[in-house]
Amino acid sequence: MSDDFLSRLREEPRPEFAERLGERLHEIDAQSRERRVAPSPWRRFVPALAGAGLVAALALAFTLEPVRAAAREFLDLFRVKRFAAVPVDPQRLERLAKSGLDFKSLVADQVQVVVAPGKPEVVASPEAGAVAAGITAQQPSVLPQRTELVETTLGRPGTFRVQVDTGKLEALALAAGADEIEIPAFWNGATIDVEMPPVLAMRYARTVDVGDGRLPREDSFLLFQSATPQVELPEGFDLAILGRLGLRLAGMSAEEALSFSRAIDWRATFLVPVPVQGGTFREVEVSGQKGLLVTIQPPAKAAPDGTSRPPRPRALLLWSTADKVFAIQGPGTRDGVEILEMAQSIR
Amino acid sequence: MDGVRILEWLAPAVPAAAVDWDAVYREEMPRVFSYFRYRGFERATAEDLTSATFEKAWRARVRYRQDRAAVSTWLLAIARNAAIDHLRRSRPAVPLDEASLRDEETPETAALREVQSRRLQALLAALPERERELLALKYGAGATNRAIATITGLGESNVGTILHRTIGALRARWDEGGRQ
Repeated sequence: MSDDFLSRLREEPRPEFAERLGERLHEIDAQSRERRVAPSPWRRFVPALAGAGLVAALALAFTLEPVRAAAREFLDLFRVKRFAAVPVDPQRLERLAKSGLDFKSLVADQVQVVVAPGKPEVVASPEAGAVAAGITAQQPSVLPQRTELVETTLGRPGTFRVQVDTGKLEALALAAGADEIEIPAFWNGATIDVEMPPVLAMRYARTVDVGDGRLPREDSFLLFQSATPQVELPEGFDLAILGRLGLRLAGMSAEEALSFSRAIDWRATFLVPVPVQGGTFREVEVSGQKGLLVTIQPPAKAAPDGTSRPPRPRALLLWSTADKVFAIQGPGTRDGVEILEMAQSIR
Repeated sequence: MDGVRILEWLAPAVPAAAVDWDAVYREEMPRVFSYFRYRGFERATAEDLTSATFEKAWRARVRYRQDRAAVSTWLLAIARNAAIDHLRRSRPAVPLDEASLRDEETPETAALREVQSRRLQALLAALPERERELLALKYGAGATNRAIATITGLGESNVGTILHRTIGALRARWDEGGRQ
């Protein structure tokens, strides 16, 4: 049955209409940017590390999904001058999830991606990537043995907005058994804007002959650097309250969370979750700055032949300078000394 | 590769791969506009509704989830709501009187085409709301039966059946009108 006659109504929109509407859509973006950039009187900018990105992502790569989901969102809100490790029990979060706590609904859904960062793109060189990132590329003069730079990538900037829903935060507090934490009612509907700058990533690699007739493996060391992200917080927003809630979810008792909370500067300390099983951390010094070195021993996995061989440990080093944040992630061999030496030589 | 895997972590909570929204606009805007024309709106109203659809979609595009629906389906769902809202606020377009158009003199080709277009408008306007909606999505917006099913909530096979039946009836009326 022919239906050609039904196409007789088809017509193109007028070009001037198409052009005008296209312009109007871009005006919407421009107006939105102006609103975001113009500081309103009740807000102030706080330089901080976008936890939703660089560091949390790296640290959490070792942990289970519920930990990743929870911490990634919370860590958006912390400012970075130093890093502190928080022992996290992934099994506790798994239990909470299994008991019906919907992390996606309660946490992730409060985060809106205003501008998606997009997938990282390979760039010709660290210098080229740095130009695009608006930073000066700093590179190590000391590399782990036999490694060389094999790839540089640039993660595009992103903007996130956290719309606080006090009902959901109260539900989280309830699930964590943290009834001592009171979520201020005036938080409801408040927005926290996170602007995540471009992230330059350099991958150094070496091929390691493992013998036993097995294929050689590749060891990679990833050096990340970016400008300090911006986090815009509502006036009077007490990060310690949110932080304590995160600590309670992570498994701390009320007393531990309170004690921890009093010991740190919430607006300057970036929390790095470290799984209680297999995770260790220590404070280190990198070029005069305090850094945090985390090593993780992932759990053993059964091989097809039935044997069980523990995976190689992984390490993560985090530190910041006045205007940049750095991370190196790589093999945790020699207790992370290779990574530390690499970091110390960065100029 | 380790590096790539880790780098992918740097894009947290990204609901979908980045979408080229300018390209989406260029590609989908004519389809949305055509959808409104098939729904029976005059050109000016169709333009207004197309603008409203894209402005709404543009503002909400960060919430678009590629894993849930194709962008064209998502846009048509917004367009459909805009049409419904508009019809609620105002009287539906008055069906043109098919008989009065048959006598219209159209010596020029363009005019003939205009008459045929108006004839089709009149035939569509006489259809029940649901059938007209499906035809607008199918022929105005060029949507697949699956996409139409997603947008309208009807089953895909049901969409196919209704369309087949409606097109058959319209075809008969179209041919009948052409013979007169």
